[in-house]
Amino acid sequence: MSFLSHTMRQVLRQAATQTSTLTGAMRCLSLAPALWQQNKPAAAAVAPIDVAAVAKDQQKECLSICERVNQQVAKQEQGRLFAVVHLCGKQFKITAGDIILVEGYWPPTTGDEISLDKVLLAGARDFTLIGRPILEPGLVTVKATVVEKTLTHTKTHFKKKRRKQYMRINFQRSPNTMLRINTIEVARPVDASSEAEQEPSKRLF
Amino acid sequence: MSNSHLFMKSGFPRAPLQNGLGRYVCQLQRITLKFCKNNGSSKGMRDFIENHLVDFAKENPGIVVYVKPRRHRTPVLVGEYLNGDREWMSCRNSTEADITKWVDLLKTQNGSSSSLRLRKMWHTDVPSIQGPWTPFLLRAPETHGQAYPSVDASKPLDAPQTATEKLIELFRQQQLETEDVLSQKRAE
Repeated sequence: MSFLSHTMRQVLRQAATQTSTLTGAMRCLSLAPALWQQNKPAAAAVAPIDVAAVAKDQQKECLSICERVNQQVAKQEQGRLFAVVHLCGKQFKITAGDIILVEGYWPPTTGDEISLDKVLLAGARDFTLIGRPILEPGLVTVKATVVEKTLTHTKTHFKKKRRKQYMRINFQRSPNTMLRINTIEVARPVDASSEAEQEPSKRLF
Repeated sequence: MSNSHLFMKSGFPRAPLQNGLGRYVCQLQRITLKFCKNNGSSKGMRDFIENHLVDFAKENPGIVVYVKPRRHRTPVLVGEYLNGDREWMSCRNSTEADITKWVDLLKTQNGSSSSLRLRKMWHTDVPSIQGPWTPFLLRAPETHGQAYPSVDASKPLDAPQTATEKLIELFRQQQLETEDVLSQKRAE
Protein backbone atom coordinates (compact mmCIF):
# COMPACT_ATOMS: atom_id res chain seq x y z
CA MET A 1 0.00 0.00 0.00
CA SER A 2 2.92 2.33 0.68
CA PHE A 3 4.03 2.67 -2.92
CA LEU A 4 0.43 3.26 -3.92
CA SER A 5 0.16 6.20 -1.60
CA HIS A 6 3.45 7.52 -2.91
CA THR A 7 2.29 7.44 -6.46
CA MET A 8 -1.06 8.92 -5.49
CA ARG A 9 0.75 11.81 -3.94
CA GLN A 10 2.83 12.29 -7.02
CA VAL A 11 -0.19 12.35 -9.26
CA LEU A 12 -2.00 14.74 -7.01
CA ARG A 13 0.89 17.14 -6.88
CA GLN A 14 1.29 17.19 -10.60
CA ALA A 15 -2.28 17.98 -11.39
CA ALA A 16 -3.76 19.34 -8.25
CA THR A 17 -6.03 21.92 -9.82
CA GLN A 18 -7.27 20.26 -12.99
CA THR A 19 -8.49 17.08 -11.40
CA SER A 20 -10.59 18.79 -8.77
CA THR A 21 -13.83 18.21 -10.70
CA LEU A 22 -12.94 14.65 -11.54
CA THR A 23 -11.87 13.47 -8.13
CA GLY A 24 -15.46 13.29 -6.91
CA ALA A 25 -16.42 11.02 -9.77
CA MET A 26 -13.34 8.88 -9.34
CA ARG A 27 -14.05 8.49 -5.70
CA CYS A 28 -17.58 7.30 -6.25
CA LEU A 29 -16.60 4.90 -9.02
CA SER A 30 -13.71 3.51 -7.10
CA LEU A 31 -14.02 0.43 -4.99
CA ALA A 32 -11.97 1.71 -2.10
CA PRO A 33 -13.77 3.79 0.46
CA ALA A 34 -13.35 7.53 0.27
CA LEU A 35 -11.34 7.77 3.46
CA TRP A 36 -8.54 5.59 2.11
CA GLN A 37 -8.24 7.73 -0.92
CA GLN A 38 -7.74 11.01 0.87
CA ASN A 39 -4.32 12.17 0.01
CA LYS A 40 -2.69 12.17 3.35
CA PRO A 41 0.05 14.77 3.02
CA ALA A 42 3.38 13.75 4.44
CA ALA A 43 5.16 15.88 6.95
CA ALA A 44 8.24 15.85 4.76
CA ALA A 45 6.26 16.95 1.73
CA VAL A 46 8.97 19.35 0.75
CA ALA A 47 11.52 16.58 0.38
CA PRO A 48 11.69 15.17 -3.18
CA ILE A 49 10.20 11.69 -3.62
CA ASP A 50 12.70 9.02 -4.48
CA VAL A 51 11.31 7.64 -7.73
CA ALA A 52 13.81 4.80 -7.84
CA ALA A 53 12.75 3.68 -4.37
CA VAL A 54 9.10 3.66 -5.42
CA ALA A 55 9.94 1.61 -8.50
CA LYS A 56 11.94 -0.79 -6.40
CA ASP A 57 9.01 -1.15 -4.03
CA GLN A 58 6.71 -1.98 -6.90
CA GLN A 59 9.16 -4.47 -8.32
CA LYS A 60 9.44 -6.18 -4.98
CA GLU A 61 5.67 -6.54 -4.77
CA CYS A 62 5.57 -7.97 -8.32
CA LEU A 63 8.34 -10.41 -7.58
CA SER A 64 6.67 -11.71 -4.47
CA ILE A 65 3.44 -12.32 -6.39
CA CYS A 66 5.30 -14.10 -9.20
CA GLU A 67 7.16 -16.18 -6.67
CA ARG A 68 3.93 -17.29 -5.02
CA VAL A 69 2.49 -18.26 -8.40
CA ASN A 70 5.65 -20.19 -9.26
CA GLN A 71 5.63 -21.99 -5.94
CA GLN A 72 2.04 -23.04 -6.45
CA VAL A 73 2.77 -24.33 -9.96
CA ALA A 74 5.88 -26.17 -8.77
CA LYS A 75 3.92 -27.93 -6.03
CA GLN A 76 1.10 -28.79 -8.48
CA GLU A 77 -1.38 -27.04 -6.22
CA GLN A 78 -2.81 -24.72 -8.86
CA GLY A 79 -5.65 -27.07 -9.76
CA ARG A 80 -7.40 -26.82 -13.09
CA LEU A 81 -6.19 -24.14 -15.45
CA PHE A 82 -8.25 -22.22 -17.95
CA ALA A 83 -7.18 -20.06 -20.86
CA VAL A 84 -8.59 -17.64 -23.37
CA VAL A 85 -7.19 -18.44 -26.80
CA HIS A 86 -7.49 -16.68 -30.11
CA LEU A 87 -8.26 -19.12 -32.88
CA CYS A 88 -9.28 -18.27 -36.44
CA GLY A 89 -10.52 -14.81 -35.55
CA LYS A 90 -12.50 -15.90 -32.52
CA GLN A 91 -11.74 -16.12 -28.84
CA PHE A 92 -12.58 -19.17 -26.79
CA LYS A 93 -12.48 -19.67 -23.03
CA ILE A 94 -11.25 -23.20 -22.58
CA THR A 95 -10.11 -25.72 -20.00
CA ALA A 96 -8.77 -29.23 -20.48
CA GLY A 97 -11.43 -31.53 -21.93
CA ASP A 98 -13.41 -28.82 -23.70
CA ILE A 99 -14.74 -29.01 -27.22
CA ILE A 100 -14.58 -26.03 -29.53
CA LEU A 101 -15.66 -25.61 -33.11
CA VAL A 102 -13.92 -23.69 -35.86
CA GLU A 103 -16.21 -22.51 -38.62
CA GLY A 104 -15.15 -22.33 -42.24
CA TYR A 105 -12.26 -23.78 -44.17
CA TRP A 106 -9.37 -24.79 -41.92
CA PRO A 107 -6.61 -27.11 -43.16
CA PRO A 108 -5.83 -29.39 -40.13
CA THR A 109 -7.37 -32.85 -40.44
CA THR A 110 -8.64 -35.34 -37.89
CA GLY A 111 -6.08 -36.80 -35.53
CA ASP A 112 -3.77 -33.78 -35.81
CA GLU A 113 -2.37 -32.58 -32.52
CA ILE A 114 -1.86 -28.84 -32.51
CA SER A 115 -0.79 -26.27 -29.96
CA LEU A 116 -2.76 -23.07 -29.71
CA ASP A 117 -0.16 -20.34 -29.36
CA LYS A 118 -2.19 -17.16 -29.12
CA VAL A 119 -3.05 -17.34 -25.44
CA LEU A 120 -4.64 -14.09 -24.31
CA LEU A 121 -5.17 -15.07 -20.71
CA ALA A 122 -4.50 -18.03 -18.49
CA GLY A 123 -5.75 -18.58 -14.98
CA ALA A 124 -6.27 -20.96 -12.12
CA ARG A 125 -8.31 -20.76 -8.93
CA ASP A 126 -5.91 -18.34 -7.24
CA PHE A 127 -4.12 -16.46 -10.00
CA THR A 128 -4.58 -15.07 -13.48
CA LEU A 129 -1.91 -14.35 -16.07
CA ILE A 130 -3.06 -11.62 -18.42
CA GLY A 131 -1.37 -11.04 -21.77
CA ARG A 132 -0.83 -7.65 -23.37
CA PRO A 133 -2.45 -8.64 -25.72
CA ILE A 134 -1.07 -12.20 -25.70
CA LEU A 135 1.12 -13.98 -23.19
CA GLU A 136 4.74 -14.37 -24.20
CA PRO A 137 5.17 -17.46 -26.38
CA GLY A 138 6.13 -20.58 -24.51
CA LEU A 139 4.78 -19.47 -21.15
CA VAL A 140 1.51 -21.38 -21.34
CA THR A 141 1.13 -24.37 -23.64
CA VAL A 142 -2.32 -25.32 -24.87
CA LYS A 143 -2.55 -28.64 -26.69
CA ALA A 144 -5.53 -29.70 -28.75
CA THR A 145 -6.56 -32.56 -31.03
CA VAL A 146 -8.71 -32.28 -34.13
CA VAL A 147 -11.60 -34.66 -33.54
CA GLU A 148 -13.99 -34.09 -36.39
CA LYS A 149 -14.34 -32.30 -39.69
CA THR A 150 -17.87 -32.09 -41.04
CA LEU A 151 -20.21 -29.87 -42.94
CA THR A 152 -22.97 -27.88 -41.29
CA HIS A 153 -26.63 -28.60 -41.96
CA THR A 154 -27.91 -27.29 -45.26
CA LYS A 155 -28.62 -23.59 -45.01
CA THR A 156 -31.11 -22.13 -47.43
CA HIS A 157 -30.47 -18.71 -48.92
CA PHE A 158 -33.73 -17.54 -50.41
CA LYS A 159 -34.05 -14.16 -52.07
CA LYS A 160 -37.15 -12.66 -53.64
CA LYS A 161 -38.06 -9.23 -54.95
CA ARG A 162 -41.73 -8.58 -55.16
CA ARG A 163 -43.30 -7.68 -58.53
CA LYS A 164 -39.90 -7.94 -60.26
CA GLN A 165 -39.94 -11.57 -61.38
CA TYR A 166 -36.80 -12.15 -59.28
CA MET A 167 -36.30 -15.21 -57.14
CA ARG A 168 -33.13 -17.06 -56.20
CA ILE A 169 -32.62 -20.02 -53.97
CA ASN A 170 -29.18 -21.23 -52.92
CA PHE A 171 -28.20 -24.08 -50.66
CA GLN A 172 -24.99 -23.93 -48.72
CA ARG A 173 -23.02 -26.17 -46.37
CA SER A 174 -19.85 -24.80 -44.83
CA PRO A 175 -17.09 -26.87 -43.22
CA ASN A 176 -16.81 -27.18 -39.43
CA THR A 177 -13.84 -28.44 -37.44
CA MET A 178 -14.19 -29.84 -33.93
CA LEU A 179 -11.26 -29.54 -31.54
CA ARG A 180 -10.73 -31.29 -28.23
CA ILE A 181 -8.54 -29.43 -25.76
CA ASN A 182 -6.09 -31.88 -24.20
CA THR A 183 -3.91 -29.96 -21.80
CA ILE A 184 -3.24 -26.47 -20.54
CA GLU A 185 0.03 -26.08 -18.67
CA VAL A 186 2.26 -23.35 -17.36
CA ALA A 187 5.44 -24.38 -19.12
CA ARG A 188 8.03 -22.27 -17.33
CA PRO A 189 8.23 -20.00 -14.30
CA VAL A 190 6.38 -16.74 -14.57
CA ASP A 191 8.40 -13.56 -15.14
CA ALA A 192 11.80 -15.19 -15.53
CA SER A 193 12.74 -12.34 -17.81
CA SER A 194 16.44 -13.20 -17.67
CA GLU A 195 15.75 -16.51 -19.35
CA ALA A 196 16.37 -16.55 -23.09
CA GLU A 197 13.32 -16.28 -25.32
CA GLN A 198 12.34 -19.76 -26.37
CA GLU A 199 11.84 -20.42 -30.06
CA PRO A 200 8.09 -20.21 -30.60
CA SER A 201 6.54 -23.10 -32.47
CA LYS A 202 5.91 -22.42 -36.12
CA ARG A 203 2.67 -20.51 -36.57
CA LEU A 204 0.73 -21.64 -39.55
CA PHE A 205 -2.57 -19.88 -39.02
CA MET B 1 -32.03 -16.53 -45.62
CA SER B 2 -35.04 -18.53 -44.68
CA ASN B 3 -35.91 -19.56 -41.19
CA SER B 4 -36.75 -23.18 -41.92
CA HIS B 5 -33.64 -24.34 -40.14
CA LEU B 6 -35.10 -23.01 -36.87
CA PHE B 7 -37.47 -25.95 -36.73
CA MET B 8 -34.69 -28.43 -37.29
CA LYS B 9 -33.41 -30.74 -34.61
CA SER B 10 -30.86 -28.71 -32.67
CA GLY B 11 -28.05 -29.68 -30.37
CA PHE B 12 -24.72 -28.85 -28.82
CA PRO B 13 -21.26 -29.97 -29.93
CA ARG B 14 -20.34 -33.37 -28.53
CA ALA B 15 -17.64 -35.86 -29.37
CA PRO B 16 -18.47 -39.53 -28.88
CA LEU B 17 -16.82 -41.52 -26.08
CA GLN B 18 -14.22 -38.96 -24.98
CA ASN B 19 -12.69 -39.11 -28.43
CA GLY B 20 -9.43 -37.22 -28.67
CA LEU B 21 -8.72 -37.15 -24.93
CA GLY B 22 -6.24 -40.00 -25.13
CA ARG B 23 -5.85 -40.65 -28.83
CA TYR B 24 -8.04 -40.02 -31.80
CA VAL B 25 -10.17 -42.95 -32.97
CA CYS B 26 -11.59 -42.83 -36.48
CA GLN B 27 -15.35 -43.15 -36.21
CA LEU B 28 -15.94 -44.47 -39.70
CA GLN B 29 -15.98 -48.27 -39.57
CA ARG B 30 -17.21 -49.37 -42.96
CA ILE B 31 -17.47 -47.79 -46.37
CA THR B 32 -19.35 -49.34 -49.28
CA LEU B 33 -18.88 -48.21 -52.87
CA LYS B 34 -21.65 -49.33 -55.18
CA PHE B 35 -21.28 -48.76 -58.92
CA CYS B 36 -22.09 -50.03 -62.39
CA LYS B 37 -19.36 -51.45 -64.62
CA ASN B 38 -20.58 -49.97 -67.89
CA ASN B 39 -22.91 -47.05 -67.20
CA GLY B 40 -21.59 -43.51 -67.79
CA SER B 41 -22.91 -42.15 -64.49
CA SER B 42 -20.45 -44.41 -62.66
CA LYS B 43 -17.43 -43.18 -64.62
CA GLY B 44 -16.05 -41.10 -61.74
CA MET B 45 -16.58 -43.90 -59.26
CA ARG B 46 -14.80 -46.41 -61.51
CA ASP B 47 -11.86 -44.00 -61.92
CA PHE B 48 -11.69 -43.53 -58.18
CA ILE B 49 -11.66 -47.28 -57.59
CA GLU B 50 -8.92 -47.74 -60.18
CA ASN B 51 -6.62 -44.97 -59.02
CA HIS B 52 -7.18 -44.18 -55.34
CA LEU B 53 -9.07 -46.92 -53.55
CA VAL B 54 -6.10 -49.18 -52.77
CA ASP B 55 -4.14 -46.22 -51.39
CA PHE B 56 -7.13 -45.20 -49.30
CA ALA B 57 -7.48 -48.70 -47.85
CA LYS B 58 -3.77 -48.88 -47.08
CA GLU B 59 -3.77 -45.50 -45.36
CA ASN B 60 -6.79 -46.39 -43.24
CA PRO B 61 -6.41 -49.92 -41.93
CA GLY B 62 -9.25 -49.32 -39.45
CA ILE B 63 -11.86 -48.85 -42.18
CA VAL B 64 -13.41 -51.82 -43.94
CA VAL B 65 -13.92 -51.12 -47.64
CA TYR B 66 -16.57 -52.95 -49.68
CA VAL B 67 -16.85 -52.58 -53.43
CA LYS B 68 -20.10 -53.77 -54.91
CA PRO B 69 -20.69 -53.76 -58.67
CA ARG B 70 -24.31 -53.88 -59.79
CA ARG B 71 -25.81 -53.48 -63.18
CA HIS B 72 -27.54 -50.31 -64.39
CA ARG B 73 -27.82 -48.56 -61.05
CA THR B 74 -26.44 -45.17 -59.95
CA PRO B 75 -23.19 -45.13 -57.98
CA VAL B 76 -23.62 -44.80 -54.22
CA LEU B 77 -21.35 -44.20 -51.23
CA VAL B 78 -22.42 -45.59 -47.86
CA GLY B 79 -20.54 -44.96 -44.64
CA GLU B 80 -21.27 -46.77 -41.39
CA TYR B 81 -20.14 -45.29 -38.09
CA LEU B 82 -19.18 -46.44 -34.66
CA ASN B 83 -22.27 -44.87 -33.13
CA GLY B 84 -24.55 -46.83 -35.48
CA ASP B 85 -25.21 -44.00 -37.93
CA ARG B 86 -25.37 -44.79 -41.63
CA GLU B 87 -24.77 -42.14 -44.24
CA TRP B 88 -26.01 -42.79 -47.76
CA MET B 89 -24.86 -40.59 -50.60
CA SER B 90 -25.68 -40.70 -54.28
CA CYS B 91 -22.66 -40.04 -56.53
CA ARG B 92 -24.46 -39.94 -59.86
CA ASN B 93 -22.32 -38.27 -62.56
CA SER B 94 -19.77 -37.03 -60.03
CA THR B 95 -16.13 -36.85 -61.04
CA GLU B 96 -13.18 -38.62 -59.51
CA ALA B 97 -12.17 -35.47 -57.58
CA ASP B 98 -15.68 -35.08 -56.17
CA ILE B 99 -15.74 -38.64 -54.95
CA THR B 100 -12.31 -38.22 -53.34
CA LYS B 101 -13.69 -35.26 -51.41
CA TRP B 102 -16.86 -37.04 -50.33
CA VAL B 103 -14.93 -40.11 -49.19
CA ASP B 104 -12.66 -37.83 -47.20
CA LEU B 105 -15.69 -36.17 -45.61
CA LEU B 106 -17.18 -39.55 -44.67
CA LYS B 107 -13.85 -40.48 -43.12
CA THR B 108 -13.43 -37.34 -41.03
CA GLN B 109 -16.90 -36.98 -39.57
CA ASN B 110 -18.23 -38.63 -36.44
CA GLY B 111 -21.63 -39.66 -37.73
CA SER B 112 -24.16 -38.28 -40.12
CA SER B 113 -24.29 -34.64 -39.01
CA SER B 114 -26.36 -33.28 -41.84
CA SER B 115 -29.55 -32.72 -39.87
CA LEU B 116 -28.36 -31.10 -36.65
CA ARG B 117 -28.37 -27.39 -36.03
CA LEU B 118 -25.65 -26.38 -33.58
CA ARG B 119 -26.64 -23.91 -30.89
CA LYS B 120 -23.16 -23.32 -29.52
CA MET B 121 -19.64 -23.58 -30.87
CA TRP B 122 -18.30 -24.60 -27.47
CA HIS B 123 -18.86 -27.32 -24.90
CA THR B 124 -17.36 -27.59 -21.44
CA ASP B 125 -17.87 -29.76 -18.38
CA VAL B 126 -16.35 -27.12 -16.09
CA PRO B 127 -18.04 -23.81 -16.80
CA SER B 128 -16.26 -21.78 -14.13
CA ILE B 129 -12.96 -22.14 -12.32
CA GLN B 130 -12.64 -18.91 -10.37
CA GLY B 131 -16.35 -18.91 -9.54
CA PRO B 132 -19.15 -17.25 -11.45
CA TRP B 133 -19.43 -13.48 -11.45
CA THR B 134 -21.86 -11.88 -9.04
CA PRO B 135 -22.71 -8.21 -8.64
CA PHE B 136 -20.97 -8.26 -5.26
CA LEU B 137 -17.65 -9.47 -6.68
CA LEU B 138 -14.75 -7.09 -5.96
CA ARG B 139 -17.00 -4.60 -4.20
CA ALA B 140 -16.11 -2.71 -1.06
CA PRO B 141 -17.56 -4.53 1.95
CA GLU B 142 -19.52 -1.43 3.01
CA THR B 143 -21.72 -1.62 -0.05
CA HIS B 144 -23.09 -4.99 1.03
CA GLY B 145 -24.87 -3.59 4.03
CA GLN B 146 -25.96 -0.40 2.31
CA ALA B 147 -29.52 0.64 3.07
CA TYR B 148 -31.45 2.26 0.24
CA PRO B 149 -32.42 4.96 -0.44
CA SER B 150 -29.15 6.49 0.64
CA VAL B 151 -28.02 10.06 0.11
CA ASP B 152 -24.47 9.13 -0.78
CA ALA B 153 -25.31 6.50 -3.35
CA SER B 154 -27.92 8.60 -5.15
CA LYS B 155 -25.63 11.53 -5.84
CA PRO B 156 -24.48 11.92 -9.45
CA LEU B 157 -20.95 10.75 -10.04
CA ASP B 158 -19.73 13.93 -11.65
CA ALA B 159 -21.19 16.40 -9.14
CA PRO B 160 -18.64 19.17 -8.71
CA GLN B 161 -17.19 19.78 -5.27
CA THR B 162 -19.03 22.49 -3.38
CA ALA B 163 -17.25 25.27 -1.56
CA THR B 164 -18.31 23.84 1.81
CA GLU B 165 -16.89 20.45 0.95
CA LYS B 166 -13.69 22.05 -0.21
CA LEU B 167 -13.42 23.94 3.08
CA ILE B 168 -14.02 20.78 5.08
CA GLU B 169 -11.42 18.94 3.07
CA LEU B 170 -8.88 21.71 3.61
CA PHE B 171 -9.60 21.67 7.32
CA ARG B 172 -9.15 17.90 7.49
CA GLN B 173 -5.91 18.15 5.56
CA GLN B 174 -4.65 20.75 7.99
CA GLN B 175 -5.57 18.55 10.92
CA LEU B 176 -3.75 15.57 9.40
CA GLU B 177 -0.69 17.69 8.74
CA THR B 178 -0.54 18.94 12.31
CA GLU B 179 -1.00 15.38 13.55
CA ASP B 180 1.87 14.23 11.41
CA VAL B 181 4.14 16.98 12.61
CA LEU B 182 3.24 16.22 16.23
CA SER B 183 3.87 12.52 15.82
CA GLN B 184 7.22 13.19 14.19
CA LYS B 185 8.22 15.43 17.06
CA ARG B 186 7.15 12.81 19.52
CA ALA B 187 9.23 10.22 17.71
CA GLU B 188 12.23 12.50 17.84
